Amino acid sequence: MTDATLGRIAVVGAGIVGARTVRELLSPGSGGQPTNSGVVLVSRRADRLAQLGPIFGEQVQTLQADGLGPLPSDVNVVVIAREPGAHLDVAAAAVREGRNVVSVSDDPEDAEALLALGGAARDAGVVVLAGVAMAPGLSCVIARHSAAQLDHVDEIHIARAGAAGPACARQRLKALRGTAVDWRDGAYVRRPGFSGRELFWFPDPVGAQDCFRAALADPVLLVPAFPGVQRVTARIAATRRDRALAPLPVLLPPPPEGGPGALRVEVRGRSNGAQETVVHGVFDRPGVVASALAAVAATDLILRMPPGSTGLGAVPGTVETLSELARRGVRVARFHGGAEN
Amino acid sequence: MRGLRRAVVAVAIGGVIAGVVRLRGGGVVPPQQGGWRELEGEDLR
Repeated sequence: MTDATLGRIAVVGAGIVGARTVRELLSPGSGGQPTNSGVVLVSRRADRLAQLGPIFGEQVQTLQADGLGPLPSDVNVVVIAREPGAHLDVAAAAVREGRNVVSVSDDPEDAEALLALGGAARDAGVVVLAGVAMAPGLSCVIARHSAAQLDHVDEIHIARAGAAGPACARQRLKALRGTAVDWRDGAYVRRPGFSGRELFWFPDPVGAQDCFRAALADPVLLVPAFPGVQRVTARIAATRRDRALAPLPVLLPPPPEGGPGALRVEVRGRSNGAQETVVHGVFDRPGVVASALAAVAATDLILRMPPGSTGLGAVPGTVETLSELARRGVRVARFHGGAEN
Repeated sequence: MRGLRRAVVAVAIGGVIAGVVRLRGGGVVPPQQGGWRELEGEDLR
């Protein structure tokens, strides 16, 4: 799981996910060895860098820049943890400079744009991993893990609850106001946000939540990774209060370290000729999940992929990934023993 | 006029109560069988 030959890793963005990702990158790998040879934290906010610099100490070099900035030549991987919508420019610059990219954006437009960077990434011989968060991200890893237990995957249904930091909370409301894109029988179908209410059971203590369609990136990233899949949907937990307040800015921001959240991944398919449904769930803070997964992606998952751009649904070795996430405190559970919902 | 006022007040009170009930929602029945089990040990090897 560790590879100190990766060189240094740059984290662009110093919000909740960016700062946590730096902390994850500084922690040793499963063998007790460093997973990289240093971290560069890039942010346009001088006050935030001044706040975080002394906390991380000499292990982390800080760099104030709006965008990628003039990175040292030994930075091989760039983790983009800026607000959704601000990832493409940084990713394109990193690819031009021959650096691998990990993007934590959950915005479908970001995901599509990053997938479109595939040609440039192949030409540059680098890997772009798009949608490395809780959903998409861990949802894609779990979908791939579930698929390994089936002969054929017919349907994938994702639901998530909660948001990481302020930018994530804004993106959540924007997604609910936006247009959802579901995959149905070989074509993308556009549906309005806040439609298709369905009650899903998440791991305790989140429990039952009404979930609605929203502009989420999971289908865009999962469909290319699962050829032949018939249906892919993504929903987000929301309340009637969210519906009433959706046109307004976020009035109640999440806690400083991000609020609690949950993820539910249902994969339906066939195994030994019989229909089978595999359901996995996670209860954790979305910011914690996103930063742990970003660190694992930057230090390990990029090594498993050929040059190009992809979501995590295409990355093999899900057992190793889930095992490393469990070591970092992100634990996935499987629903056993009965028909859920 | 008094009747109209009473009707308006009654409708308003009914609307508020209905709104509170809808926002609070009703009870839901949890899954009656099965449960969540963390992936560990053999699951992650």
